[in-house]
Amino acid sequence: MSGAALIMDFAVTPDSHRLAAYRARGGYATLAKALAMAPQDITREVSDSGLLGHGGAAFPVGRKWSVVKLHDGQPHYLCANADEGEPGTFKDRWILENAPHRLLESMLIAAYALQVRHCFVYIRGEFDLPYQRLQGAVEEAYEAGLFGSGILGTEFACDIVIYRGAGSYVCGEASGLITSIEGKKGYPRNRPPRLTVKGLYQQPTVINNVESLANIAGIVRDGAQAYRAIGTPRSPGTQLVSISGHISRPGVYELPYGTPLKDFLFETCGGMAGGKRLKGLIPGGISTKVLTEPDLEGVTYDHASLLAAGSSLGSGGMIAIAEGTCMVRLLQVMLRFWHHESCGQCTPCREGMGWMHRIIDRIVAGQGQPGDLERLIAIAHANDGTTICGMGDAAGYATVGFLDKFRDEFEHYLTHGRSLCDGVLDVTGGWDA
Amino acid sequence: MPEFFINGQPVHAERDQTVLQAALAAGFYIPYFCWHPHLSVAGNCRLCVVEVEGEKGGSNWMEISCNMPVTEGMRVLTDSEPVRERRRQTLQLVLLNHPVDCGICDKAGECSLQDAHYAYNGELSASREPKVAGPKFHELSERIVLDNERCILCSRCVRFTNEVSGSHSLGIQFRGDHSLVRAAEDGSFARDPYSDNVVDICPVGALLSRQFLYRSRVWYLEPTPSVCPGCSRGCHVNLWHRKREWALREVGKAENLRIQRITPRSCDEVNGDWMCNTGRDLVAHYERPRASSPLLKGMPASVIDAMARARDLLRAARRPVAVISGWASNEELAAFRAAFGTRLGCVLKTDRPAAPGEPIADEVLIRADKNPNTRGVQDALAPLLPEVPADADLLLVWGEGYDFARAPRGARFILMSPFLAPENGHAEVFLPLSLPIERAGHWTNEAGITSRFEPCFAPPAGVLHAESILAQLASHEEATA
Repeated sequence: MSGAALIMDFAVTPDSHRLAAYRARGGYATLAKALAMAPQDITREVSDSGLLGHGGAAFPVGRKWSVVKLHDGQPHYLCANADEGEPGTFKDRWILENAPHRLLESMLIAAYALQVRHCFVYIRGEFDLPYQRLQGAVEEAYEAGLFGSGILGTEFACDIVIYRGAGSYVCGEASGLITSIEGKKGYPRNRPPRLTVKGLYQQPTVINNVESLANIAGIVRDGAQAYRAIGTPRSPGTQLVSISGHISRPGVYELPYGTPLKDFLFETCGGMAGGKRLKGLIPGGISTKVLTEPDLEGVTYDHASLLAAGSSLGSGGMIAIAEGTCMVRLLQVMLRFWHHESCGQCTPCREGMGWMHRIIDRIVAGQGQPGDLERLIAIAHANDGTTICGMGDAAGYATVGFLDKFRDEFEHYLTHGRSLCDGVLDVTGGWDA
Repeated sequence: MPEFFINGQPVHAERDQTVLQAALAAGFYIPYFCWHPHLSVAGNCRLCVVEVEGEKGGSNWMEISCNMPVTEGMRVLTDSEPVRERRRQTLQLVLLNHPVDCGICDKAGECSLQDAHYAYNGELSASREPKVAGPKFHELSERIVLDNERCILCSRCVRFTNEVSGSHSLGIQFRGDHSLVRAAEDGSFARDPYSDNVVDICPVGALLSRQFLYRSRVWYLEPTPSVCPGCSRGCHVNLWHRKREWALREVGKAENLRIQRITPRSCDEVNGDWMCNTGRDLVAHYERPRASSPLLKGMPASVIDAMARARDLLRAARRPVAVISGWASNEELAAFRAAFGTRLGCVLKTDRPAAPGEPIADEVLIRADKNPNTRGVQDALAPLLPEVPADADLLLVWGEGYDFARAPRGARFILMSPFLAPENGHAEVFLPLSLPIERAGHWTNEAGITSRFEPCFAPPAGVLHAESILAQLASHEEATA
């Protein structure tokens, strides 16, 4: 993927995450450029670049920023969402481990553009190395005078706080994240008001995904047009993709939007482990609908194309599923996850996730009954657009996706009390490396 | 004043009102569990969902009305088939792990979940899975028990302690369908003087008052509007007692004349929807043994004899002083004025001083002045004497709570009190008095708001109303004048 790499544009070495190495790559030069610009010009540049949110919802970053009124006399907050908890997604981890200064420089630029005095990074509690790397980078940056007051000899002042989460999936949702930082239970909030109007401590708050923020420095350095030159017109730029599952070369890759998906899977990633056939692909974290190999024909990796294929780009966390995998048990694992992670605040998700989990447990135990699949779909529909945050919807979509694509497998499990795939899957030794 | 449309009818909304508030004010029915007029919006029960018609040919969308600001010209449907279907779905989920043990639930009959279920669902559960079991009898404090299986996690109680009582003593533990409402471990919920309100605002029977636990089915009870005599706030309350048509005949006859529970009666100017625990505990105060016969120096006497003696004493007194009850109603005070004019010096007394450990005053409701009608007494009988003068030779003591040890030496007493007490026998004349729950009247609270209370029981045999006592004493005054 060389040539179009915006984030993974350097060779990873044991020291490449340090400040000296980042400076040697031209790091923090963009900050000096940004501090000489007017804040609203930076926001305009980001808007012009068409940068989309990389956390899952693909909301335009510039549009989110432009809601914040610069001279409203209120404190503003900026928060990097590093609570990367979507199963199958580990792309932000790569940035936190390998390019923490890239994130910090971008956050400083964003903080300047939004007139933010205090920044936060809400980092997933289970992230240990990423936390240590980020903490080390923050210490280096403070020592170098890049945080605090009088940054680079200007009047700009900014401080940063790293807040470690305690392991809740829902805290990755922007408003749940905010309540968690405030020291409360990580319950998402109702909108309105939007977080850019009343967010952290009831002040205007911008929350962006780590990867979205990490792109800011490059956009300000090279300009919006250079960013737009990569990707597709409606999805400019690149996406870090983390791919896992039964794939030969799992890992993190940077893909320009518009890359043919099958090329990526079967060439870049070396195809399925053990030469198996691709049974299903979850394209962007388990909250996105699963696709089968025929669905992938002609699909390119960008928001519009995946939407047309019946799924979405999501968080960039791909899971490749080889033939022989029991989709009933896979859905069971997913439903167990959602049941465990439902915050329990609003009714449809609190009750629905547990109900779906208990039904699928019963099916897997061989006690399925006629009507169970219809019930699962009905519960999924009861969660569609009815919950405070997107988790209930997402779990519902994904469940319906599995039942749509692999209905025969579920029916078989229901009538025979056991899986179609028992004893078929064997990918041992199938992975490269 | 934005104007919008509910089910096609134009509705005026106040500024900053939500669709739910405007709809309820205009008389439309929208069911809800978690929303409460005096608490913040939580938006978690999802039952108040309404349909909003899309503008300019856009498709309709559904959203909860409790968090939806009214915008000019918006068109809302509260009872369309999609709305009904959505509410049915939500209720199915609410009831999924609810034990439906209405038969043994104190809330049955006044339960929002029952009402909504009858209105929208009414079907058997579609679930084949075992319900999530939870603790059925968790003691949150000595006063309140929690049935976690019935709890629908609306968070009203949590928000109450955060936003109204300020004790921040309740929270929700764990996640998902294992969530449990629990009290803080520092015991702050037990110390919260307003904790019983969570029982009233619980939309289901999850939070239960130990005082009222299994005492009565609520449909056997009716409320009498009254005013709390606990302090000068004068909270509006309902006194719940057995309906006449459900009176018990032989066994448990005493229940007919008991106040089963006291709950706040909504009044935005005085107490909102709240009252303190002390006010609820006054049930026990009323239930002490009652005096039912006049006494002359401790010996039972007829009303006629007692009145005659009281008149003689009043006529003979050189310096008669009245110790006025803080529980006296404005009507009784007027009767006192009519009876005695300004012949008696007046001192105000507190009938029910704060018990040991009782909160004295706070920023929420509780006032330091424990008389419900200080303002009324001041208005009717000013100027009041600061204390009983040392040369007083006759005290007309109205109500209990006077410290006889501090009375002037040699003074004689006429005592009117509702309760049996040793000092009744020390008085020259004792006259048994009715309780506020046995008479109607008005009290004026510290802010000058006058509120009416109604009788819920007839006074016991032999007990007299203060107005009639004063009128009988007055007939003498007029005769000798």
